[in-house]
Amino acid sequence: MNFTEDKRWDLVDSVTRRVVSFGVYRQTIGDVLGELTVKPATGIPVALAVLYAFWSIFGSFAGALVTDGFMVKLFDNHWLPWLQSVWPDPDSILYYLFVGDPLADNCFEAFGMLTSGLFVAIGVVLPAVLIFYLMMTFLEDSGYLPRLAVLMDSVLHRIGLHGYAIVPAILGLGCNVPAVTATRILETRKQRFIMMTLLAIFIPCGAQLGVMLEVIPETVGLVMIYLIIGFGIFGLVLDRLIPGSNPEILVDVPPYHWPVKGNVAKKLWNRTKGFLKDAVPFVLLGILVVNVLYLAGVIDALANFFEPLFVTWFGVPKETVGPLIAAFLRKDLAVAQLSTIAMTPYQMITAVVLVSIYFPCVATFVVMLKEGWKELLAAIAVLIAVVFIYGGLIHAIGILMGVA
Amino acid sequence: MNRNCSISTIYIGLLGLATVALGLADILVWAGASPGISFGILEIAGDDFFRCAWGGVIMVFGGLFMISGMKDAGKNLQQFAKVVLGAIMVWIIAGTDIFARFCESIPAGEEAPEFFNSLAGFIGGFAPPYPPAILLLPFTLVIACFMFTWRFDEA
Repeated sequence: MNFTEDKRWDLVDSVTRRVVSFGVYRQTIGDVLGELTVKPATGIPVALAVLYAFWSIFGSFAGALVTDGFMVKLFDNHWLPWLQSVWPDPDSILYYLFVGDPLADNCFEAFGMLTSGLFVAIGVVLPAVLIFYLMMTFLEDSGYLPRLAVLMDSVLHRIGLHGYAIVPAILGLGCNVPAVTATRILETRKQRFIMMTLLAIFIPCGAQLGVMLEVIPETVGLVMIYLIIGFGIFGLVLDRLIPGSNPEILVDVPPYHWPVKGNVAKKLWNRTKGFLKDAVPFVLLGILVVNVLYLAGVIDALANFFEPLFVTWFGVPKETVGPLIAAFLRKDLAVAQLSTIAMTPYQMITAVVLVSIYFPCVATFVVMLKEGWKELLAAIAVLIAVVFIYGGLIHAIGILMGVA
Repeated sequence: MNRNCSISTIYIGLLGLATVALGLADILVWAGASPGISFGILEIAGDDFFRCAWGGVIMVFGGLFMISGMKDAGKNLQQFAKVVLGAIMVWIIAGTDIFARFCESIPAGEEAPEFFNSLAGFIGGFAPPYPPAILLLPFTLVIACFMFTWRFDEA
């Protein structure tokens, strides 16, 4: 069918008459609030308030309600005593591997695969990850996250990134695995490399945060401050060292709206399912491997070998070598292990920061490898340098303050 | 515009001042200026950086937003939005305080053999004293009422 130009325009007119309606735009309170949340003078305080709400709800739900309220009681008063009573021969290797210390009265200290392993995975990490992803999805679907991206754009440009880098950064606070994948939203190789490296080093995952809130609640704030400062300093350094461009972005900021329940439920399920599939086997395997290494004497040998470095340079006890090995499998597990070692509060802060900035967990490692082996090797080189420089720096700060 | 702007302006101004004052009190008590404030059903413990220092800063900003938006808040949507934003900041602090009490009240205590708290224990978790944001909450709900009743012709 051939149309003349006039006929085509007539057709366009008839379609638009049917489908397009015209009216007068009336600015609503939601529109103005939307504008206020991207202006720095009002937007930064709002961002502080949103982050406050985020962590407060996270701590109340995961910490006070689920873990402290129910899981500790369930695992320590029921599961652990039952397992200790039914598992035969407390002196056997199998008992040590699966149930752990026969004299332990709580699941954190038992350190068996079926005691500490299940408690950390189900009792501590799962509620933390669930509430984290729920709030993350809410911020995403309500339209706040793009505003945060606009707000953070100028700050992140100083470290070679742009506003949308806030998405992998926040995702990384849940799990570094999807966060590494999310670095693909950044335009250049330089940006992707900087973000991936900073993610692997300075952003603790939700699992680790959950365990930190559970075992060292009074030092989490200081650990986070050290990590944020490190993120900024090493971001600036990487931006200067790595060649490449840092282009501007155009962000489409949608109006504020209530998230659709079905979408929230779907996202929450997919993200939590992914976490359960990736993390739980690693937690259980992690405890098994660490216990086998302890039994074989490998951890003690490594602890003796690295003692000068750990005690002199980092200022932490040599026993932290074991948790650092466990950190490669699961960082949450490593923090749980650290909590059972006798240390001063400052040593604990240093040790937890070291666990955070030390090698990414093996799941993140695999995803980073998928992004490119050259990038992974370069990230590891940066990581080793950061661990030595920053770990020593934190020890030096502690000495200057008279607390190390 | 028929509403009495002067009364609402004074109300918002006073609410903003009270919010700033209580936010500053939160920060000062946390910083060690006082061992803690307890006045009737109001209590500022000051022992927690997160709730007192960080929360106090948010309260101060919330109050300042209310004060900066109080002039012509009944006539100008831009100004009124600042007042609403200030109220939202107070709602965030109060909401998270209430949620924290809710989460702490559901389980029975650590030493108790049962898992769930009794009804009396659950309700007791919401008893006074209250932190400043919860006390300010009913007063800021007036702003929510303005939000649904006021119309802005020039917008």
